[in-house]
Amino acid sequence: MRKTFTGRAILPANLAGKALVSRRGFNAYASFFNSLHDDAKSAECADSGNTDLFGRNMTDKIICLPKTSGSTSAGAVWQRVAGLGVAPKAMLFAHSIDSLAAGGLIVADIWTHHRICTVDQLGEDFLSAVKDGDWLEVREDGTVTIISPQ
Amino acid sequence: MMTNLENLKIKLSQEELDLLHGSQGPTMQKVMKTVVLYGEALEAGRLADIEGPGHFVIPWSSPGIAPPIELLEELANAGLKTKFPFTLDPKPPFDFENLYVRPEEAAAIEAMYRNQARYDELMIQLGLRDQDAYTCNPYQPDVGNIPERDTILAWSESACAVYANSVLGARTNRNGAIVDILTNIVGKTPLAGLLTDEGRKATWLVEIMTDNLPNPQLLGAAIGMKVFEDIPYIVNLDRYLNPELDAETTDFLQEMGTACATYGAVGLFHVENITPEAADFGKDLLDPGFQTYVIDEHELQKLLDSFPLLWTDENARPERCYIGCPHLSLRQLYWWADAIHAALKIHTKNRLEIDTVLCAAPKVLEKFKEDESVYFQLNEAGVKFSPACSETIFETRLCTGRPILTNSTKLRAYTTARFLPDEVLVEVLVTGKVD
Repeated sequence: MRKTFTGRAILPANLAGKALVSRRGFNAYASFFNSLHDDAKSAECADSGNTDLFGRNMTDKIICLPKTSGSTSAGAVWQRVAGLGVAPKAMLFAHSIDSLAAGGLIVADIWTHHRICTVDQLGEDFLSAVKDGDWLEVREDGTVTIISPQ
Repeated sequence: MMTNLENLKIKLSQEELDLLHGSQGPTMQKVMKTVVLYGEALEAGRLADIEGPGHFVIPWSSPGIAPPIELLEELANAGLKTKFPFTLDPKPPFDFENLYVRPEEAAAIEAMYRNQARYDELMIQLGLRDQDAYTCNPYQPDVGNIPERDTILAWSESACAVYANSVLGARTNRNGAIVDILTNIVGKTPLAGLLTDEGRKATWLVEIMTDNLPNPQLLGAAIGMKVFEDIPYIVNLDRYLNPELDAETTDFLQEMGTACATYGAVGLFHVENITPEAADFGKDLLDPGFQTYVIDEHELQKLLDSFPLLWTDENARPERCYIGCPHLSLRQLYWWADAIHAALKIHTKNRLEIDTVLCAAPKVLEKFKEDESVYFQLNEAGVKFSPACSETIFETRLCTGRPILTNSTKLRAYTTARFLPDEVLVEVLVTGKVD
């Protein structure tokens, strides 16, 4: 089954990868709290309040979420996880991007030259349709295609 | 495709366009590019002038949480500085003697903050107000970063942004670390979201149906989890709080707002008959399609029971307690002094069973310590005082799973500390036993 959604490409890229879905607000600071040290090899979600993602490896995944939440410290977290090579491959927002995620992801892109592909405004239907483990194709024009596992 | 600067929807003045094209050098050009793309992402019509001092979230040099030193050096070397002097969140936890940290934790903290001296220098170069301007409660009278109503700001620290918007009636979006400094260097912030009248309308009516004044940190967590990033219009708190915004009311709203911002992404709340916009406009602030959320004791108990206990040994005897996330006000320091004193008296004890730290702004602690008899009494009971941020101690990962208590739902959210409401916590501190 293939289903395509169109959003707004904020930090565009052409890529594909596995979906990891947070049905609730993604608290970036809490989620990456244990993955900011120099020897981090991967980013396991440390946010015990997020039952969808707690303990799951977020590195190289495509995180599908409504928006981000939580501490504004998250602003610097994005450039750090991107620089350490443990960041998700892409962030796909169902809603309009929030100020915290927007600032952090844009700063990571401009100041540390590590792009985490970012698309927003994909809609509630996108979040309803996408499931953990789905293969996703993201295009730089902001289209996202869900390819469910066979 | 948003990163194409040729097709921007945001309207820029000639001066802003000149900066974007490098009129003040390549570093300022990069700063401006970040601010413009930030505005474009937030669908701002234009940039607005920042009208007051900033308050920023990251005072520590710990890698991963702090802006990289290289980035700050690039800004400072280009001679850039914020338009107004700013205040910062609490100092790094170097006052080990006040924090009951173990030697291995102290060593890890020293290693983690090895670049702190350079970081501090850079903050001063970039516009930090003074050496005491470190707290997450900067609107305390003794600290003095108190913006007036309707002042356009670009603050970060979610706990402070929500307070500035809600209780002071100033206007700031929830800016993240790094972009906070960059916008304040340009002196402009995207005119979007909470800076606009439309963006300050409430979409939730929250009815408080408790029999007594609820715990503000639990209440805020419940509201944040329900409304997420929306704006709540809260009714019935005026049954219990003074509409004159006295210290008890502002302390309550500060704790509630901090939890709202932590458990959701709330940047503004209105409290009927209390906060300035709610006092002026009442329920006109509610969007016609608002949803309703009723909070009673059962709802708050359910939330409290849902917090998992993350101690490695669930039955361990508590070893430490950190109080003051966010930083305590002078009134709150006295509340704890009175509560601890009374509980010790009831149990005919002189000293707490658990090592306890009260955290507050340097200037607030300075004033509290002037009351020598109260300060001495608490010291004798084993209470210590720190201007640091207790959360940062956990960043060593050496406290993970240890039996540490807190009265903060924020600290609980980011660490393995166990939350207990104030009145319960006092009893535990004196007896050393948790049910």
